[in-house]
This record gives sequence, C-alpha cells and structure tokens, in this order.
Amino acid sequence: MQPKLFLAIWLVLLTAGAGGAGEPPPFAFDRYHDPDAVASRLRQLVQTAPETARVHELATSPGGRPVLIIEIGPETAAPVRRLPAVLVAANLEGSAPIASEATLYLAQLLLDQPDTRRDKTWFIVPLGNPDAAARLFRRPLVQDNRNDRPFNDDMDDRTDEDGPDDLNGDGLITQMRVPDPTGEWIPVEGEPRAMRKADWSKGERGQFKLYSEGVDNDGDGRYNEDGPGGVDVGANFPHLFKFFTRTGGPWAGSEAESHALIRFAFAHPEIALVINFGRSNFCLNPPRGGRTGTADFNRIKLPERVAKWMNLETDKTYTMTEIMELAKRFAPPGMELTEAMVAGFLGLGPVVNPLPEDLKFYEALSKRYSEFLKERKLDAKRLDPPADRDGSFELWAYYQYGRPSFSLDFWTLPIVEKPKPSGTDPEALTPEKLENMSSEEFLALGEEKIAAFIKTSGAPASIQPAMIIQAVKSGMMTPKRMAEMMKTMPKPKSAEGLDTETEALLAFSDKVLGGAGYAAWQPFAHPTLGSVEIGGAAPFAADTPPPTQLLPLLEGQVPWVLTLAEQMARIRLAKVEVTALGGGVHRVKAWVENIGYLPYTTAMAQRNTQCAPVVLELKGDGLKFLEGRPRRLIRQVAGHGTETVTWLLQADRPVAAAITASTATAWGGETQIQIGGAQ
Amino acid sequence: MKRGAVANLLLLGLLLASAAAAAGDTRATMPLSFDSYYTYEQVGQALEALHRAYPKLTRLEVAGRSDEGRDIWCFTVNNPETGPELEKPAVYVDGNIHGNEIQGGEVCLYLLSELLTRYGHNAEITRLVDTRCFYVVPVVNPDGRYHFFADPGSHSNNRSLRLPRDDDRDGLVDEDFPDDLDGDGNICTMRRRDPFGTHRTHPEDPRLMIRVKPGEKGEWVLLGSEGIDNDGDGRINEDAEGYVDPNRNWGYDWMPPYVQSGSGDYPFSGRGLRELATYILARPNICMAWTFHNFGGMYLRGPSAKAQGEYPPEDVAVYDYIGKQAEKITPGYRYLLSWRDLYETYGDSGEWLAMTQGAYTLVGELYMSEEEGFGKRQAERKVDPDYESGAMFGDDAARTLERIRFSDHLTLGEMYKPWQAVTHPQFGEIEIGGWVKMSTRLPPAFLLRQMLHRNVAAVLFSAQQTPRVELEIVGVEPAGAGMHQVTVRLANPAAMPSMTAHARRVELYPQDMLTLAGDGLRVVAGGRVTNLNTGETDYVEHRPEIQFLTVPGFARVEYRFLVSGKGRAEVTYRSRHAGVRRVNIQIP
Repeated sequence: MQPKLFLAIWLVLLTAGAGGAGEPPPFAFDRYHDPDAVASRLRQLVQTAPETARVHELATSPGGRPVLIIEIGPETAAPVRRLPAVLVAANLEGSAPIASEATLYLAQLLLDQPDTRRDKTWFIVPLGNPDAAARLFRRPLVQDNRNDRPFNDDMDDRTDEDGPDDLNGDGLITQMRVPDPTGEWIPVEGEPRAMRKADWSKGERGQFKLYSEGVDNDGDGRYNEDGPGGVDVGANFPHLFKFFTRTGGPWAGSEAESHALIRFAFAHPEIALVINFGRSNFCLNPPRGGRTGTADFNRIKLPERVAKWMNLETDKTYTMTEIMELAKRFAPPGMELTEAMVAGFLGLGPVVNPLPEDLKFYEALSKRYSEFLKERKLDAKRLDPPADRDGSFELWAYYQYGRPSFSLDFWTLPIVEKPKPSGTDPEALTPEKLENMSSEEFLALGEEKIAAFIKTSGAPASIQPAMIIQAVKSGMMTPKRMAEMMKTMPKPKSAEGLDTETEALLAFSDKVLGGAGYAAWQPFAHPTLGSVEIGGAAPFAADTPPPTQLLPLLEGQVPWVLTLAEQMARIRLAKVEVTALGGGVHRVKAWVENIGYLPYTTAMAQRNTQCAPVVLELKGDGLKFLEGRPRRLIRQVAGHGTETVTWLLQADRPVAAAITASTATAWGGETQIQIGGAQ
Repeated sequence: MKRGAVANLLLLGLLLASAAAAAGDTRATMPLSFDSYYTYEQVGQALEALHRAYPKLTRLEVAGRSDEGRDIWCFTVNNPETGPELEKPAVYVDGNIHGNEIQGGEVCLYLLSELLTRYGHNAEITRLVDTRCFYVVPVVNPDGRYHFFADPGSHSNNRSLRLPRDDDRDGLVDEDFPDDLDGDGNICTMRRRDPFGTHRTHPEDPRLMIRVKPGEKGEWVLLGSEGIDNDGDGRINEDAEGYVDPNRNWGYDWMPPYVQSGSGDYPFSGRGLRELATYILARPNICMAWTFHNFGGMYLRGPSAKAQGEYPPEDVAVYDYIGKQAEKITPGYRYLLSWRDLYETYGDSGEWLAMTQGAYTLVGELYMSEEEGFGKRQAERKVDPDYESGAMFGDDAARTLERIRFSDHLTLGEMYKPWQAVTHPQFGEIEIGGWVKMSTRLPPAFLLRQMLHRNVAAVLFSAQQTPRVELEIVGVEPAGAGMHQVTVRLANPAAMPSMTAHARRVELYPQDMLTLAGDGLRVVAGGRVTNLNTGETDYVEHRPEIQFLTVPGFARVEYRFLVSGKGRAEVTYRSRHAGVRRVNIQIP
C-alpha cells in the first residue's frame, strides 16, 4: 500500500461520515462529531426529554461558533434553583474530541437513568473550544488548540499569513526533514522513521533540520510561524495563568469561551462538583504538588516592615494561627479580621499546591478508580495522561472556584511491553568469555546454551547451533576465532534514543492503524528548501483513539462520573433534642450531619472563602433566645462528619418550632419540634 | 398683617428656590466652574456642554455600561483636520474608579476645559491638540459616584462596584448597609458614654476624643460607623454593597479575593470595566495613561507587585523624567514606586494599561491632607499602609486638632458634625458626630481649583513627552550598477520612545515599520545604519523593504535602503504610538 493511502485511512477513520451531504445518519458513537453535529445531538436529546433537559448558548467563539450548555435535571425550567449541581466541561483544548463524545454519552446516560438526575442538576458543556475542535473536520488536518482569534504570531505587518501547507496532498500536516549542515536531528538507528537529536558528546553529528510541513508564505525566512489561530482556551483560566505567551491570551478569561464559563460558574453557586473531560486525569493521578509558593500557612515568613511592627523576627517562620492572634490586637475595634485579609496584607500570594486535607479524598478516590477500571478490564498499561496545565480549567475549579475538581482523559497510547533484555543472566555467554575458552569447554556448554548465545549475538538466522558445534568439533573453528569474528560483526541495531511516546505511537500505528498513524519519509521537491522528505506522526494519532474504540472506552469510563456524583457532600439534620430546664427554659441541640463522602466543603474552599455556610435556622413564635441567634452558621462538616449546635430558649407557652438546615451545594433538612412552655 | 403675610410667603418662596438650587438641581453649563463637585448627572451635562461648544474637536461616546446600567462616558479630543486620531499619540486620562474618589472626575473635566477653551488662544495647547489625541473617562465607576452623592455615606463609602457579594459569608448578600440614623445624609461615627470606654474627651476641644492611657479613666466607647444591625448577627454595617474593588478587578496579574480582598470572583467580573477595557483595546495609540485617585498626594508608577520584577531601565528612565517634573509642578506630591512605597496591588487598572497595552502609566493620588492646615508644612511623613484603611490619621491628636480648627475657620465648621444624642435600637442612648462625607478625602471647594490646575499641568507635561517622530531623508546617492542608496532618519525629541521597552521585550505588538516602495523599484537591501560616518549598516536577511524598529526617546536612528530601478518612491513610517509619516522621493 502507498503511504498516502495509509494516511487517507486515518482521515477516514477519524471523521467518517462527517460533513457528508444528505440525511444525517442516526446518531452513534462510531465517529467523531463536528460542532454542528454535537449541537444537533444536544437538541435531539432535549427533544426526547423536554421537561428534563434544556440547551442554551453560553458564548460565541471568535470563529462565530456557539459554546453550548445542556442542563439536565428536575429544575431546568425553575426560576430558582434549590438542588445542588454538577458542572461538566469538556474539550477546552479543542483537540480532545473524545472528551466531547464523552459528554454526549454522559447526557444520554443521565436521560436513560432517572435516578442519576432525580435530586441534582447537571450542567454539561460538550465543547468549550469549538473553533479548535472544528479543525478536526477540515483538510488539511492540523492539530492546534487555538481558537479563531486573529493573532500576529511573528509580530510583522500581517496576521495569520504563514500557516502550514499540505505540500504532498495527503490531507495531513506532518513534518519536513531537510539535510542541513546546521541540522540537529538524526534518524533513530533501529527505527529510522523516528528522529532524535544528535548528541555531540558521543561524537554524533546532526544531519537534518525539522520543519512543519509548509512553505514560507510571507518570505521572511521562517516556515509556518504565523498560522491562523489565537488563544488556547484550555490555558486561559485565572489560576497560575501565564502572561505574554504566544497562545495563552492577553489575560485570564480574555476569551469569550473561558469568560462565559467562569461567569456561568459564579452565577450558579449551587454547583458542588466540577468535572473536566480533556487531557489531564485527576481520577487516576491526584492533582500534582511540588510547586514553589509562599502561601503555606504553617510556615509564614514575615516581611521586614511587618515583623518590626508586630515585634516578631524576620528569620523565623510563624503559623497563620499565631499571626492571627497577634494581628487582632492591631485591628481597629469592630473590624473582623479574616485570614484572607492577613494573608493579603502579608502578601502571601496564592496557594499553588493541593491542600493535604483535600489530597486525602483525591488519593482514596484514585484507588477506587483503579479498581473500577480493573473490573472493567480497562486497566491495561497506557502512557501517563499529560499533567494539568497552568491556567487550565480544572486547576481553576479547584484553586479558585473551590470545588472538588476532577478530570478524565479516557485514552492515551498503550505502552509497548518490552521483552526482558538478554544478558541479564550472569551465566550467559559473551564474546569476552568465549575468547578464553577451549573448544572442549565450549562444546561442554551444550546445544541449548549455544543456541541462546547465537540468538543474542545478532548472527543471521541461517546459522544453526548444530553447524557451529560441527565446525568446532572438526577444528574448522575455535572459540577464540569465533569471538574475533563476532567483534567485527555489525552490532545489532538498537532503537536507543526513541522516546516512549514515539515508540508507543509507532507500535500502535503499525498494529492497530495499519500504519496510518505515522507517515514514512517521502522525498519532495520544496520550492525554497530544495530536496526534502515529508513524513512523521499524523495529527491526532498520538492522543485520539480511532472511533472504532470509542464506544467501549466511553461505556467503560463515563459511568465513573456517576460514582463521583454519589460522593457529593449531603447535609441533613440527623437529630434534634429538646431538654426542658424548668421555668420555660429549654436547651435545643441539633446534630447536623454530612452523609456524603466528600467534605462540606473542600479545605481549599475554606481557604479561598468560596464556601457558603450551612445555615441553621430555628423559627417559632414567641421564642426568646437566651443563647444562640435564630440564624446560625456552620462553615465546615467533614465527610461523614457531624457538627452540633445548641440554643438556650425561653418559651412561656408551648411553641411549635422548626429547625432548618440549608445549603446551596449539599441539600439540607428540616425538623419540627415542640418546645414545651413554662411548667 | 396681610402685606406681612405676603412678604413672608415671598421670602419662603425665595428660600425654597435657593434650597432647590443648593440641592444640586443646577445644570452644568459652559464655561465649567470648579468651585464645587459635580454629581454624576452633572458630569454628563458638562461633557455634553463641552461637546456642544466644540463639536469639531470632540466626540462624546459611551465606552461601556456599569453593573447598574449607567453610562461610562469617554470624551475624545482630536482635531480631524490634522489627521485621524489613531495616527496620533494618545493620552488616556480617567478618574473616579473608586466611587468615593470623586475629584478624579473633576481633574478630567478641568483637563478638557483647558484643552478646549484655550485651543486657538494658547500656542502650546493648540499644538498639543493638533498633534495629539486625548481620551478622557471622568467617571470609571458611575454607580459609585451616583450613590456617593445620592445616598447617605461617609467619605469612604460607595467605593465598590455594584456587584452583590456576601462579605461576611453568612449566606446573605449585601444585607447590612450603614444607616443614616439622624437623617443628615452623612454616615458619621457613633459613641456612647462609658466609664470603661477606650477614649476620653480631648482637653482642648470637647468634640474630639483621645485614647485613654493605661490606668486612665475612660469616658467614651466608639461603636463604629453610623448604623444598626440589620441582619441580627450582632455586627453593624458588615455587608454593604459589593465589596468588589474596581481597581483590583482588571485582567493583569489579577489575584483571587483570598490573596487580596475585594478583587471580585474573577478578572473583569465588573461588566463596565470589561467594556471599558474593550474600548481601550480599540485605541492602540494610547501611549500615556493617567488614572486619578484621591488620597495622599502621590504620583505612583508600577510595578504594583514586587513579584513582577522591576520595569526595564529604559522605561524607568522615562517614568523618572515625567515623575520628577510632576513633583515640581505639584509641590508636596511625591513620585513613588507603587509596591515598594505604598503597598502591593494585583489587578489594578494602571498595571493593566502599562503591561497589556504598553502605555506609560501614572496613578495620581490627589490631595494631601496637609493642605487642611495653617500652612505649617508637616515633616515628611512616611507613607504607611493605613492610608486607605480608614485609620488615616491614626491617633495623631495634634494633627486632628489642627484639622478641626481648619474646619471651623476655613469652612465655618462644615467638615465636622457636632455630636448629637440619638436613641439607637440596639445601643440605646448614643451620640452621632464626626467628619462628614464631604471632608477628609475631598478638599474643600476653595482648594479645589489649584489642585486641579497643577495636576492637569502634570498631565500636559506628560502629553508633551509622548513620542514625536520626525522622518527625514538624509540622502539619495548613487551606489553603482544603477542602484541608489536612500538614507532615512527618524528623530524623536520627546522623552518617550515609540514603544515601551516592556512592550518590546514581551512582543506585545509589532514594532514600528519603515518601508520604501514604488513602481518599478526593488529594494535590494535594507537595514539600520550603525555608524553614519562610516556608513556601516546591519542589513537584514529577508524582506529588506520593510524594517521593524523602535525610535528611542531623545534620540534618532538612521536606516538605509539599496534600491534598484528609478522613479517615485514613498517612504512610510508607521507606528502605533508615534503616528504615521510619509515622504515621497525621486530615485533618479
């Protein structure tokens, strides 16, 4: 088969049926769906369940595409939301089509199983970056996370004027390698399709320069340096946002897509759980720590001016509790001093690592997720999902929005299982040992060992152990001569220098994609670079499974989202006790319980003040509150934890009273009580 | 009797009419007066009056709408006869981002008044208006200014954006505003007699109190600002409007509220700010920006947070040049480095303008409280972070005494409300009194004009320093083989370069472009002349017909093109900040 044909297969595999004329085929997870198809699928779902589901538009991308959200639950038509909600946002990278498919699968699942949506709202954004997502359905195929905001990448007099070009007409943008005396790249020895950097310290000399496929459209000596595309929406969120990058946008939330999502989240305080479908996977690997930051409340260093003022040392560290105690003395009367205020005053900066208390649930749930995958036989070894990115949605959801934030990536390339390298056996024969052996000693090794030795020596397959034994016996060959011959023999080619990702891609491409995932280098006459070769990884081949694998991947993994939703904090009034103390005085004690697994709320939400309290209200006519106000606040209830609240009341007559516990994100409860009156 | 009754009625009528006028019913008309503060509506009328009087030079637009739907006006001054606005260096000036810091709005109106009424009369103003463009936004926070005038308040209330927020995190939003218990329009201070109190009457002025020393008997306890516990949580006035600080909500280096309180849920959560930012983005010619606040007498430059690192030295030199001159123009004001000399801020508008727009930006903190005194200059005070936290005067009893005497003798007592007994629903018998709304952060009207004039003069000085690039053809000489060598000079006699060093360093936008083009001409080589005497030139490898460059301040640069062919050639210089220059030459 021609290499072009292989690659054409990849294009067909990815998006078969997309954009075709005529009747749309019935919806199935047998292909990736373009933004229009995703939108029409959402509308289709709403039509099947108009009472339960609703679709609306959050924003319009710079390319004019809608960012849609589907709401599923009993309150989608209600003017006021009382039920907690889950926010699922997908494919903010725009280049993770499986993430969008997973939201469609999830929406279907929720509609099919009423129990999953009986007492909560689901907000699902299937396509957070529709401009980038649309690229999958255009030719030539380019993988790029940027939306369609025009951006002058090379800061010249024109914008978006030098993108890649499909020179060989295979529909894909791959790479060009060009022989160049200043080139840094050489082919990997055992795998000449792959390239690696030459290592001068080993005496290697670079042979090639690598470019992405294209011509220098604007004649500035650079290739494909200013293609269409502006901002990677998936890195445009406010936590650890990086300024002045080429693809991150001018500031966090600068894009219509990201801004609308953040705005929506804050307009819906009932959101209790945030899940991202994309590239990272907080279900497998808890959010990583290890960043350097200054906001560790257990080890605060004080700036000189503050230390002097508070009469403390600059070379010692203090805990926030210690500082709060001292700071209270300096606060003007009537001022409520919060840790956030003090942290701000000390300039402690943002929290950059997951708080230890929150890592507990991340780690425990990650273990459960591994078991979940094992049961479903989806635990085959695969490449690690990429780490969370600075400025990503999932980091923002945890660090700033303060919700438990999970992410799922669904697929990476399977890891190539390597056969155990030979030579680890200390008994194994080597040319060095051979050199000092007599013919008798060699023959004494026996046929089996000699066969193993021949195999590892890289000798041609035509050489059989019997031949060697015969030759030694006859004296035509001695072990010493054999060793000399072996030393001059060409070494077996090794694929050393091949990185794990490329190795996995090549293997996957060869075994599963019929070679379509990686193009062999083919000569091409380039208008300015001369004789070049075009080849390399096909776009999306390394991080997007072929659609034939889609359904089992979704069936197996998406239901974990339902398990996560079952872990949400759930507040109820476990018990209320009324004790008459005489003289109409009563003690009322209420037990407020979190029957969910997750805490109310995350430690991060306590830190960043994004947590509404549990509000406990005691109402009854003619009650006099001796201790405790009618409206009480509980800021935190651990997972499966209980907090108690006590009032001292006076009631001259019997009073029918009610206690309610209410929350925005974790349900609540109500209990009627009778307060006896004066005896 | 009858005549007397009619006369009384007449007198009453006159009194009522004058009371109505005093209540701010007057429309702002030209010429603008600067002997009192304009309400939000009057600022709008003043802008309309200015526009009506000078329709050719001005444009009045709505740059955005606030969270409560009020207009954020932008007033443009540009002479279209001398070129389109985007081809001129622009100065952006705004004020009143904090709703209570109203006099920033007056600075803007005074600037417009100066530019327009003196255009054609004063040669320098005429030159500035003809060669520069001015974008002026007098009220960045219209909701704040509106409520500052309309609602009872103190000099520090109504700073916020009108974005509801649960400040005390009790599940209720904006439920405990201050309350004007005595109905005088001011939120003052409450005190109650208490022998265990923390304060006693000042021995020299019974209106003032001083803190008791250990062992001394107290007389008063301070109960905070005027109000009641509206939500029954035991605290007073703890959750008023917002609080979202409009000057912590901008997109550059924004930090969430737990890092810096008041920053809002996310960058540009304020609708008006986001719209204003979009409006500014569409004006890439802004190379100098001023934002006016109202306390301390300071000209602040960034960075506003230490972690940002210092600005490039070339930029610091420009700031120093303008800042030090501004200090001289406005005696007593100090030119300072924001994070180091005041405090750190994140997400302020000034840093956004400097870092994401590449404009030199100064924050003007108007008004020194030292002006409320009797001319004795205070010893240089160390700026301390309490300035904005309400404890502005600390326990400096001598200073407070001077201020109250200033109030007595120069405003006939208008700055301080005498203590009056009031029955408080929760505290019982208390007294209300103290500094009124129109005091403390606002100079009395008679001090206003000079403050406005000096600050506007500082703005005008900075406008003179915006880049003023002149394009000159140094020579067109034969260079052999039918070629000619064209040498072009770009000279800038102003302090600001045509692009900040910061903008160049982070590649915020393309540099200036110098091109040579003409029919039948081909530019064979082109580059920067590194030594004009020897003619050494750094020729670029690609696209020699277009040179990307920045013209430094107080300097010149020369470029050379090697051209083959003959005929008319156009040499064009195009810069975001320094405008467009074109010269036609003949290649013989």
